[in-house]
Amino acid sequence: MATLLINGKSRTVDADPDTPLLWVIRERLQMTGTKFGCGVAQCGACTVHLDGAPVRSCQTTVAQAAGKKITTIEGLHPEGRHPVQLAWIAEQVPQCGYCQSGQIMAAAALLASNPNPSDTQIVDAMSGNICRCATYPRIKRAIKRAAQGGKP
Amino acid sequence: MTTRLTRRAFVAMTGVGAVGAVGLTIRFPLFGAPDAAAAAAFDPSPALTITPDGLVTVHITKAEMGQGVGTALAQIVAEELEADWKDIRIDYPTANEKYGLMLTGGSWSVNWTFDALSRAGAAARLALVDAAAASWKVPAAECVAAGGVVRHLATGRSLSYGEIVKRVPISKTFSEDDLKKITLKKPADYRVVGRWTPRLDIPEKVTGKAKFGIDTFLPGMVYAKVAYPPTREGAARTAVDDSAAKKVKGYVATVTLPELVAVVATSYEAAVKARDALKVTWDAGPNAAVSSETIFAKFAQAKEDPALQNWHEQGDVKAAMGGAARKHEATFTTDYVAHMQMEPMNCVASFKDGAYDIYTGSQFQTFALGAVAGALKTENKNIRLHQAYLGGGFGRRLEPDIIVETALIAREVKKPVKLIRSREEDLRRDFYRSATLQVVRAGLGADGKPVAWETTLVASHPGRRWGKDFVDKKGLDQFALNGADHVYDIPNQLVRAIPVETGISVGYVRAVAPNYTFFAVETFVDELAKLAGKDPLEYRLAMLGGAPRLAHVLKLAAERAGWGTALPANSGRGIACVSAQEKKTPTWTASVVQAKVDPATGKVQIEKITCAVDCGIVVNPDGARSQIEGSLLFGVSNALKERGTVARGALVQSNFHDYQVLRMDEVPEIEVHLVESTEYPTGLGEPGTTTVAPALSNAIFAATGARVRQVPLLADRVLAALKAKA
Repeated sequence: MATLLINGKSRTVDADPDTPLLWVIRERLQMTGTKFGCGVAQCGACTVHLDGAPVRSCQTTVAQAAGKKITTIEGLHPEGRHPVQLAWIAEQVPQCGYCQSGQIMAAAALLASNPNPSDTQIVDAMSGNICRCATYPRIKRAIKRAAQGGKP
Repeated sequence: MTTRLTRRAFVAMTGVGAVGAVGLTIRFPLFGAPDAAAAAAFDPSPALTITPDGLVTVHITKAEMGQGVGTALAQIVAEELEADWKDIRIDYPTANEKYGLMLTGGSWSVNWTFDALSRAGAAARLALVDAAAASWKVPAAECVAAGGVVRHLATGRSLSYGEIVKRVPISKTFSEDDLKKITLKKPADYRVVGRWTPRLDIPEKVTGKAKFGIDTFLPGMVYAKVAYPPTREGAARTAVDDSAAKKVKGYVATVTLPELVAVVATSYEAAVKARDALKVTWDAGPNAAVSSETIFAKFAQAKEDPALQNWHEQGDVKAAMGGAARKHEATFTTDYVAHMQMEPMNCVASFKDGAYDIYTGSQFQTFALGAVAGALKTENKNIRLHQAYLGGGFGRRLEPDIIVETALIAREVKKPVKLIRSREEDLRRDFYRSATLQVVRAGLGADGKPVAWETTLVASHPGRRWGKDFVDKKGLDQFALNGADHVYDIPNQLVRAIPVETGISVGYVRAVAPNYTFFAVETFVDELAKLAGKDPLEYRLAMLGGAPRLAHVLKLAAERAGWGTALPANSGRGIACVSAQEKKTPTWTASVVQAKVDPATGKVQIEKITCAVDCGIVVNPDGARSQIEGSLLFGVSNALKERGTVARGALVQSNFHDYQVLRMDEVPEIEVHLVESTEYPTGLGEPGTTTVAPALSNAIFAATGARVRQVPLLADRVLAALKAKA
């Protein structure tokens, strides 16, 4: 048994300490916004925040996450209206959408630590997140829009 | 694999059938019995339902895999229906014969359905107007529909669509002939089609609420993992020992069938542990020594094979070649490409009371139903295939392999089963874009223009695995060849082809054959221009008299890219133009790639792509741009990075670390120009992809004088070409 603090709620799950956080979030708790893409921290689809920092939940064990504040896409904003989410809609970023939870979590963490990132800083922060539909130009525009208070 | 796809369905698939005959078949005589009007929904066709609350639900029978197809198709219906856009909803129904051929691919969705959906919307509008007019006892011709409301102009009376459905009998019916006779709106009068319309699926894709196949849960569901063989094809299982697997906490069952061996457990991670503990012994079979080297050696032999078939032929190439002033020949190769859709293949299936409920994202429900029914020895009617969002398709989800596996396991364990492939399994069990070898020869006349063109195309053909309905009489799959029959005015042409079995399964990957055919065609044309001493743009334009729309986008892309203006040393521009995906339904596309080459390392950086596209009517302009941007960048990924290699009968690469795809750090500037047009719409998901590799090869040549004829255009290949030139 493990107790996890996810999106402000304490959740007890029957999982071994070495179980990847990803599978607990997705398959036990059925919070499916966080996605499985590669299992080896190469694609970023499973990105969540651990005490505010972006981590790959496929490579984070239940033991490592215990006692820390875990935030998933479902907990980013109560109505799904985080500035990054609004910018994502304004720029019509998603195509298939599968990687976008991870992209948004990575972008939100970037802006939380660096509210006005340069192009280079955006590329550095986001190059760990793969989008096979290649929505990258729109992701970049949306991050800038969010940084500029929603203005394009 | 047994398939039950009919010849008729395949004819429709290949676009041989008339536009109105494919996609959605509208059977209006079924709707609107007058006495059934009260409280019932109005289902004028399989394409849409209008409920008494006034909402219009457009049933999207195409897979949503990122193209925004649901929004685009709903716009088409809403336009002729004269609905209020805010009343439009979409859903993705469970597979059913009434929807006709359920197939999403080939950039066909809008092209196949634009006319049929326009007529479905128009017929529903006419029926609603007719019903309202009858209730007012006035001629229908005195009434107009707009914004989801029917008005009688003379008296000012009005009824909303919802009120009509709720209160008024709807009796007008349409035969197929009646549908054909409906006069549709002129593009100048469009109010929804061609207008900026936010995609309906985007809000739930930024909150994590969108449900993909992998997000399916059923009560009592267990998790399966399959033990896959060591080679892609031809391995045989010789023994299974599950004694250690049984000891894993959460183990439920071992499923041993002729088709597969799998372990079932109560959680995903327990299933992984149990499967890893399973001892399966394999005979690797006849492909155990297959490698990229043996495959390309086989291709090199095949290009001389007397079994080569003539696929496309006009004029007399042999005679023209004999009389040519100059000749040129070049060989082009491309490597295997994997789909690498972000959502690994997965499926949930349950078997109860003789019927299967299957939850997944499918690009080809019609094919999947037949495949599952064949494998499970049941009838199509016993399979309910429920559609989810696709976390990327790119052709991967045309294949029913994961659906068949999951259904087989569910049948054995009598519990709902979820099967998720790991990324490694997903990549090793993919159906790759074939590696190819193309030899192109041309004879030039005294004026430098080609008088003869001959392509010999060696590849594996996916259709041969799918069955006889997917190949022509010569055993050739047109989808492995399209594009080799380019549109240049060359009097004598011959495309010869031979399908080669390699032991590596091939399938359809975004933009399909035109990825490699246009790489050869458009690179070779550049080489001919150089031989003739002509500018590559002018050289092409002189051969495009028969394709004025292609000439137009070519000029447009060149002009916007600053074609002919100076660039720094080691930078260059290359151009390419295509009639992808098919010659019969082309989206006229041209790109200029501007690239910089590091002469010391051969490393290439794409700085900018300028792309001009004429796809006819554009239904959703921002969605169209999004598709073009994505298709170009998929092309960048293919052209610069993606190289699948084979050893010991299987793909060498296993995950994103060794099968690299484009990330944000290598994204060039993209500039897209869409031609305004009132021509019948074609498609946008793929054509851009096919322009990138040839335009890049041509840009490298412009920058350095070195010609690279292999895709991907890796640094070591560029470096080798630079050295060969020096």
